[in-house]
Amino acid sequence: MDRRMMDTGTTRRTVLRAIGALSVAGLVGPLGVPRAARAQGNLANLGPEEPVDVTMKRLFAGRPIKDGSSAITIDLPLIAENGAVVPISVDVNAPMTPQSYVKAIYIVSDKNRRPLNAKFTLTPAAGQAFVGTNLRLGESTDVRAVVEMSDGTLLQAKREVKVTVGGCGG
Amino acid sequence: MAEIGRVRIRIPSSIKAGEIVRARVLVIHPMEIVQRKDGKPVDKNYQFINRVVVTYQDKEIAQFETTQSISENPFFTFAFKATEPGVLRVTFLDTHGGKYEGTADIKFS
Repeated sequence: MDRRMMDTGTTRRTVLRAIGALSVAGLVGPLGVPRAARAQGNLANLGPEEPVDVTMKRLFAGRPIKDGSSAITIDLPLIAENGAVVPISVDVNAPMTPQSYVKAIYIVSDKNRRPLNAKFTLTPAAGQAFVGTNLRLGESTDVRAVVEMSDGTLLQAKREVKVTVGGCGG
Repeated sequence: MAEIGRVRIRIPSSIKAGEIVRARVLVIHPMEIVQRKDGKPVDKNYQFINRVVVTYQDKEIAQFETTQSISENPFFTFAFKATEPGVLRVTFLDTHGGKYEGTADIKFS
């Protein structure tokens, strides 16, 4: 991959950034990160700082996203006093059979500098499309859960959370 | 703070065969956040967990890709179908090459 990008005249920085974007998209694992990038710092391997619509475009490439608020339950506090630890759980009311299952759940916070919080890749063995974690949120924001089904359908649900003290440091 | 990399898995105390079980897992980890200087992010080798792999009976059932916008001492819940007695293993990988693992024995009562 590196060679191909070099041939088109891209700089080392854009190559590193592309690798970072790929690893977020799940195409290159953390072990696919080249050594050189480590020595220099791994900022380039993180998701880029960008507005949320850019993130959505990068992740889903403009594929249509349907409203999934009837199937997706987001459990999130209305007010989070501490943005450093905001509990969230996402429950998708969908069958988990080898024919049709929830392939991935993305959690995206609209106003975070790097909006993608996490991507959960599931298999039918999970039995139920349910994940929970603790988020860091910089400020009051919409949090969306995007669900990718095994047939490629995308569903989205949104919830707003008010954050009293941001959890992203600077 | 407690030592980095300690993994705790909690499963219900009694599990029936074929049941869908919710497991909770926690790892002690700093999940460093990006520092900023003069409004610009500092390029350094941040240590945070970017991948979590869940296996059950040595078969991968889920994989999470995480970023720095997950809290310190990351906590995850997930579901799995307890088909047979076996080992549930959760492996956390961080950007510094750290690998932290926790297991739980799934037994039926």
